[in-house]
Amino acid sequence: MDGTATRTDGGNQPKLPIYLDYQATTPTDPRVVAAMLPYFTEKFGNPHSTSHSHGREAAEAVEHARLQVARLIGADEREITFTSGATESNNLAIKGVMRFTGQKHRRVVTCVTEHKCVLESVKRLGEEGIETVLLPVRANGLVDLDLLAKALEEPTGLVSIMAANNEIGVVQHLAEIGALCRSHGALFHTDAAQAAGKVPIDVEAMHIDLLSISGHKLYGPKGIGALYVRRRPRVRLEPLFDGGAQERGLRSGTLAPPLCVGLGEACAISAAEMGTEAERLRKLRDRLFKGLTAAVPDLALNGDAERRLPGNLNVVVPKVDGLTLLAEVPELSLSLGSACTSAAVEPSYVLRALGMPDELANGSFRICVGRFTSDAEIDFAVEHLVDAIRRLRGKGAQA
Amino acid sequence: MPKMTFIKTDGSRLEVDAPLGLSVLEIAHRNNIDLEGACEGSLACSTCHVIVDPEWYELLPNASDDEEDMLDLAFGLTQTSRLGCQLIITEELDGLTVSLPAATRNMMSDK
Repeated sequence: MDGTATRTDGGNQPKLPIYLDYQATTPTDPRVVAAMLPYFTEKFGNPHSTSHSHGREAAEAVEHARLQVARLIGADEREITFTSGATESNNLAIKGVMRFTGQKHRRVVTCVTEHKCVLESVKRLGEEGIETVLLPVRANGLVDLDLLAKALEEPTGLVSIMAANNEIGVVQHLAEIGALCRSHGALFHTDAAQAAGKVPIDVEAMHIDLLSISGHKLYGPKGIGALYVRRRPRVRLEPLFDGGAQERGLRSGTLAPPLCVGLGEACAISAAEMGTEAERLRKLRDRLFKGLTAAVPDLALNGDAERRLPGNLNVVVPKVDGLTLLAEVPELSLSLGSACTSAAVEPSYVLRALGMPDELANGSFRICVGRFTSDAEIDFAVEHLVDAIRRLRGKGAQA
Repeated sequence: MPKMTFIKTDGSRLEVDAPLGLSVLEIAHRNNIDLEGACEGSLACSTCHVIVDPEWYELLPNASDDEEDMLDLAFGLTQTSRLGCQLIITEELDGLTVSLPAATRNMMSDK
């Protein structure tokens, strides 16, 4: 057992509110915090100051972290660039590849359910005169490989398809997509913010050329991420920032050693515990889904049931408004979809892309369990969600 | 004897003799072409960066990792960039055409 304060033993009332939004962010693992702390205080050196031991100590820590990140995805440490997070990694990968001088094929392919930062980066390239292609997804949220193959008949510079979706948690066929891109001479970028550390990823086996990682989605700190950039054959990018040419010129700016160390440690823990953790989360998630459907038989899952992150549920409750439902259960931290767009009261573009009508998309919400979720919390969540749904439907029936 | 052509930054072309076994950097120096080569071909800098005509690029042997590492640091890098010191003239490369990039990065001579 991990012994964190939020865990309680079965049967007891869990500590409230209960966090069930692990795809928005995760708490930093206490082991990660412990690894980071010395680099704020006694080991505070600038990793780029190589003329003294303070600097070299920080540089060694950063390089060790780089290796830990690389190992999670089967990469070489020289292929890892630290960034501020997945948004920056995605911008750097997509704009960087397509803006690189001499890029042969001025065409980029992505899909409609990508994170906003991917869609907006692609849109920006469109404004710069690059041809952009937005692939639809099937009703289960997965990219249709035949459509992708068709799109690749035109010479394409870059394909960007996310590894796992941030709302519905579906895991794309990365190896198949990578193989298609490779055989058509297109580079393959994947936004693995949600997938890294949750499902196995191997950049060699999957023919991935660029891959984005976010620290705070895998129990690391916020404010750090990484971009994997293939060395063989070499993938080249135009940097977003001008400056001191840190990170091999790809990302100027002084690195934050505590954050790098935190990301590295988080990756190492995830790599070591992924198998057992996935199994535990799948059980919790299934217990949750079974509990809900037993009481609310018409509650249904959005997105593919099998190719899915172990901790993700995204469900629709017909004839119930999602936002109203969430307001009925203040003891539970849940969200409708992605945190980035949760301020906007409009149906999720991801669910719409699955072909869901607005009233069903509006009746959908996301529940994500994670490393510190307990059985007692699941049981509490089921009980309160079912009560709330019954209350709302009772009201609706009377009105 | 094979020939090769340099396209200078002002767009002018210069065709020169390209003896077999010599590097593009050495040929440039023999002909007073302004290609630096600060490390004299020891793969420690990227100042002999040239942009190979796309038609010729495919004929070149692949760059080594060491050359790629140095190219990472080259200024104005393109898809067909190579280091002049690593391009050795063969019969096949008779007619090779390369452009000089607009700028180089040399910490010693930059002001």
